[in-house]
Amino acid sequence: METIVNASEEKVPKKKKKVSYAKWGYIFVASFFIVYGIFTFFPQILTIYDSFWDYTKICGKPPVESPEFGGFINYANVFKYDADLGTYKIWKYLGNTVLMWVIGAVPQFIVSIILALLFTSSRLKLKGLGFFKSVFYMPNLIMATAFAALFLVIFDTAGPIHLMFVENGWISENFDFILNRGWSRFLVAAMNFLMWFGNTTILLMAGIQGIDESVFEAARMDGASSNRVLFDITLPLLKPIVIYVFITSMIGGLQMYDVPYVLTGKYNNLETKTIVMYINEVLRTYNYGMAGAISVVLFIVTGILSLIVFKTINGKED
Amino acid sequence: MKKKLLLTLGATALAAATLTLTSCSDKDVFHIYCWNNEFQGFFNKYISDEKEAGLDTYHLDGKEVKWTQVVSDNGAYQKALDEALANNKNAKKSEKVDMFLAEADYIIKYADSDLTKDVTKIGLSKADMADTYQYTVQAASDNKGVVKGVSFQCCPAGMIYRADIAKEVLGVETPEAMQELVSDWSKFDEVAAKMKEKGYYMTGSYADTYRVFSNNATAPWVNSSNKLTIPTVVNDWMEQADKYVKNGYTKTAGVWDADKTKEFTASGKAFCTFGPAWYYNFSMTTAQKGEAELNADGTEKKDADGNVIYKEGTSTFGNWRVIKGPQSHFWGGTWALAAEGGDDDALVAKVMKACLSDEFSTSIIENEGQFSNNKKSNAKYAASGKGNAFLGNQNDTKIWVDMADSIQFKNNTIYDQQCNEGFQTEYVKYLKLDADKRTAAEKEKAIKSFYSYIKTQFPILTTD
Repeated sequence: METIVNASEEKVPKKKKKVSYAKWGYIFVASFFIVYGIFTFFPQILTIYDSFWDYTKICGKPPVESPEFGGFINYANVFKYDADLGTYKIWKYLGNTVLMWVIGAVPQFIVSIILALLFTSSRLKLKGLGFFKSVFYMPNLIMATAFAALFLVIFDTAGPIHLMFVENGWISENFDFILNRGWSRFLVAAMNFLMWFGNTTILLMAGIQGIDESVFEAARMDGASSNRVLFDITLPLLKPIVIYVFITSMIGGLQMYDVPYVLTGKYNNLETKTIVMYINEVLRTYNYGMAGAISVVLFIVTGILSLIVFKTINGKED
Repeated sequence: MKKKLLLTLGATALAAATLTLTSCSDKDVFHIYCWNNEFQGFFNKYISDEKEAGLDTYHLDGKEVKWTQVVSDNGAYQKALDEALANNKNAKKSEKVDMFLAEADYIIKYADSDLTKDVTKIGLSKADMADTYQYTVQAASDNKGVVKGVSFQCCPAGMIYRADIAKEVLGVETPEAMQELVSDWSKFDEVAAKMKEKGYYMTGSYADTYRVFSNNATAPWVNSSNKLTIPTVVNDWMEQADKYVKNGYTKTAGVWDADKTKEFTASGKAFCTFGPAWYYNFSMTTAQKGEAELNADGTEKKDADGNVIYKEGTSTFGNWRVIKGPQSHFWGGTWALAAEGGDDDALVAKVMKACLSDEFSTSIIENEGQFSNNKKSNAKYAASGKGNAFLGNQNDTKIWVDMADSIQFKNNTIYDQQCNEGFQTEYVKYLKLDADKRTAAEKEKAIKSFYSYIKTQFPILTTD
């Protein structure tokens, strides 16, 4: 190897002696790091910094006065018991977030895996795949806020679903879907399901198609049943993509904001308030300290959960 | 060769970027912040250089006027305004706020601060404000009495009712006779019971009477030692709302909900509502125009010019009348304030003077059905014998003139918008429960939930 390099060096003129293509690699990668640094890393550091400042006295006033240094007071407040609500807000909102994510994500994974298997099955050879893929992906193209606003109009007390339910005597006229704990959570989860199952399906299909066809052929030659192929070949080989989809979905779920906010923000519904809605609520009166502290807590929780998921799914191989 | 190509590409990109930056150069404009387009419409028609409706851009003394509109829900307008004002001195010319609009609920936060300018220092004199109502001046003053803004309207509010329903149910022909029947809350309750018998709602929203009560408060939401207490009058309102929902006198729809405003149409069941002149002219579209024609997908049908098409015979235009009702009160009002850091003082002063002028005031009374902030113009119109067609040619100005002088601006705090709106939001959760679940414990829960909401936003506040 060494000799070859030396030989080529001898041939080229002296000026161009130190042409290093690695430089271009760095230059191209740099753009990402610069953008990441300015728009993500720096604000993250700032958030942590902010979380140590006490804004209590100047909340709600135009942001011209400076906060006092508060140490860990914001963290103490994050974990403080709310006597008025009779609960710990942080755990309640975190619980809401996880619950709504789970209600939406579990059916999302099941449906997506089934669809992905059907679409990639070489035996079924379904026609019009492109069409179905587009249709399933479609809800994801609509802005989440617009999608939620649509649901809000449909399920409003002056909306068609409410009217239909009242006329059939299923609910009283006073009933409000958005205020009902079960319904509002279900609607948020349903919307997330509708928006994301297409995306997950496409990712899983890509994963299945990435598995070497010869493995399936070999299995079939050996007389493996379809179930056997599914559970012993497809799913295990699909694991890396499943982990990826699961973790990204979980992180997205923990950051759930737009759908529940648009659907239930009007009523300040405590049963569908997510952790990011809580951050937004304290930010409304410029409590950057408290918002920073909640964000840091969310960051740590997300990190821990991701690690747990990664370890559990990947555990057997270690 | 490749390097050269890259360089050329880079240089072109850079040049293009610079060009874009310079082309959206820092244009000096007259910049106004607002939360809806009510005043903007009046400005375009009566104050701008163009003085006609429907143009794309307007000018004042040759300078382009720029409006930034942020909806006021959940305090979003206040937040946007706070941020803009805090950075106003160093803002680009095109972004600098010169003037902004504020509402009664939060005006003192800005008037009583360094974010606004003394209007007498930018060209307004006490004489310009001589004919205005005292409370509009007081609301826009800081704690030393320095005036920071003016209002173009005065907002005494009354009971707005359907004359045809009054005749059918109560046999009442005139507003005077109607006033007799609802002169206090117990009489109001009696009428509500009669309305219910005939299948009508007294009001379309549980919160329609909220401002009548809250505006007559004898103590503020938050006292000087930062303690949050629910005013006695709001307690009274809670009882009324509870009773009205229980008896089916009203609906659990919010003040601005479609579920309420649909009751203003010809087939609607709401007998009355409460509000000032801006309310029935600006916020009662379903009464003014009727029910909108809908497309199959539920959106409003529009004609070739983009105007909404309304179903024939569904409007209640001309059927409404206005009276003082059980208790006099005022609601809202828009003030224009001069922003500190703004660089168009002369234009701000010009707009403010125009707002108080006889000419502008007469125009908005006669053409827009407003009640102006100019006592002379109001008195002139009250005596003119003319009337508002929406109110069956009743001269509403006459009613407002009698009420306007007694309006007092007191017991206001910087927390009022969140308190007033937050309280209704939390309380309706209780009202929407099924009848057998509306217990004292649930009511307490709604109040506690309100406390928690306010304390999350303003951690400095305490409760018992």
